[in-house]
Amino acid sequence: MSEHVPAPVAGSPVEDAKPSRFSRRRGMQSRKTVTFGDASDVTTSKGWMLVSLGGLFLLWWWFTRGPEPILDEKTFPSPFATWDAFVDWWRDGYRRASAWEHASASLSRVLKGMLIGTIIGIPVGFAMGLSRVLRGIFDPIVELFRPVPPLALLPMFIMWFGIGEESKVNLLIWASVWVMIIASRAGVLGVSGSKVHAAYSLGANKWQILRYVILPNALPEVFTGFRVALGVSWGTLVAAELVGAEKGLGASIYIASRFFRMDIVLMNIVIIGVIGAFMDLVMRLLESRLIPWRGKG
Amino acid sequence: MKDLSVQNVSMVYELPKGDSVQALHDVSFDLEAGRLLTLLGPSGCGKTTLLNIVAGFLAPSGGTVELGGTPITGPGQERGMVFQQGALFEWQNVAQNVAFGPRMNHRRSITRILEEVDASKSPEEAYRLADLRVKSETKALVNGLLNTVGLTGFGDKAIYELSGGMQQRVALARCLANEPEVILMDEPLGALDALTREKMQGLILKLWKETGKTIILVTHSVEEALFLGDKLFVMAPRPGRIEKAYELPFAEVGLTTDPRKLKASAEFIEKREELLSMIWGMEEQIMGHEGGMS
Repeated sequence: MSEHVPAPVAGSPVEDAKPSRFSRRRGMQSRKTVTFGDASDVTTSKGWMLVSLGGLFLLWWWFTRGPEPILDEKTFPSPFATWDAFVDWWRDGYRRASAWEHASASLSRVLKGMLIGTIIGIPVGFAMGLSRVLRGIFDPIVELFRPVPPLALLPMFIMWFGIGEESKVNLLIWASVWVMIIASRAGVLGVSGSKVHAAYSLGANKWQILRYVILPNALPEVFTGFRVALGVSWGTLVAAELVGAEKGLGASIYIASRFFRMDIVLMNIVIIGVIGAFMDLVMRLLESRLIPWRGKG
Repeated sequence: MKDLSVQNVSMVYELPKGDSVQALHDVSFDLEAGRLLTLLGPSGCGKTTLLNIVAGFLAPSGGTVELGGTPITGPGQERGMVFQQGALFEWQNVAQNVAFGPRMNHRRSITRILEEVDASKSPEEAYRLADLRVKSETKALVNGLLNTVGLTGFGDKAIYELSGGMQQRVALARCLANEPEVILMDEPLGALDALTREKMQGLILKLWKETGKTIILVTHSVEEALFLGDKLFVMAPRPGRIEKAYELPFAEVGLTTDPRKLKASAEFIEKREELLSMIWGMEEQIMGHEGGMS
């Protein structure tokens, strides 16, 4: 319920004010004098995104192929060597598996882990938000296990679930489930008492309160949790594919590092980063579609 | 139409350190159907607690509340609720918010229709027809209510696109959709600017006249309590109780007389000053009670 300050119209006294460095920033529409700290005025600038990416690339080039290369091409491949590795990978694949097979192996592990982590996490988080008893039961479990890094569990997971797909997916479930539980719990706890009271007064039963009030109200938080969990899952991918994987981006990194092929290592790192960023972008688009009310309560 | 009866209601809140606060002490009153009761008093006088007890969100520590002879044990749709703000569902548009109550009753409405319908049709067909009928009835009801509160054509708007005053109009329409016997309002205009507030006071009076429903309205504003209240309780704190009850003429004529003139009339001003000094007195007593600021 924000009342917007109307923009001064042409001819108003404000118009004659001396234009400051700030007010010129976004052309003639913005006449705010306070811009630092006004988060609503900060939007992602596409121009600066390009500058940032270009600068990163330039720095990379400078380190590896500049006038005085600081790092040896063997330990830190240049952008060009990495690009060559990408072209080879795209055309011929790596270790008897095509590029698509590697990428899809990783993608499907991450998505399976996310899916199961979400299916477990949302109900547990909701239960913790709705019941004193269940919160008491689950709270210590969540708080104890959440900080444990997935990599630390790998040896045990391999012993329990073998070196096949199961241990890898389970590790990724582990990586995502705690985030989903905490986000769902926060979403449930965030519902205002007056919304629930209003719904009861309108004849809703407990099930309807859950379905039509608590669930949609928790959706923004759950969505944020999903995005965070997706990031954590990609971050865990290399660990998950450390042992016993033939295909996968993480597995490729591990295998290539043993042959000291840093160009392939770096290429896979970039691919993981790009896919992760792309998925986050998709999630953000979905969010603005599915949860248009977010932040406008 | 059902009368409301509040008998010897007390409310004691236990504090963590073993202390307790008497939010309400032995409050009793009867409210005939169709009255507009305003509750006025300083913070901590228990007016919101009283409203929440009537709504059924709180169970009193002692005493009984009955509506039409039936004890109130929990929230129910014969008692609609309008909150100050933030109680609308922002994931739904305006029309869906207003339709929320009928939608929660959709099953029951269908069952009711199916009982009346003749048995010649197949169960599936009968269900489909009943479903359609309930849906179109709800739609017509929602459109009518949006009309009543002055939001014609706003059905498709998102809640966050509306101003505070318009949001409260939606809240009123949503509450009316279930045909409650009593409408409970917890500072419904408290978050609005002065001009919007006056307009909304007129709307509340209009709804009260047109629907003939019983309304209990909690407010901090002396003027609002006087203007809207057909009956007014001034409540006092420590322990929360009804200090004085008034029967007032202003609400009755509020729609036909210019409200600005009414509020400037000698009678209105005299009452306003009386109430103000009464509440000031209470506030000062509280200050003294807390160690003396003055």
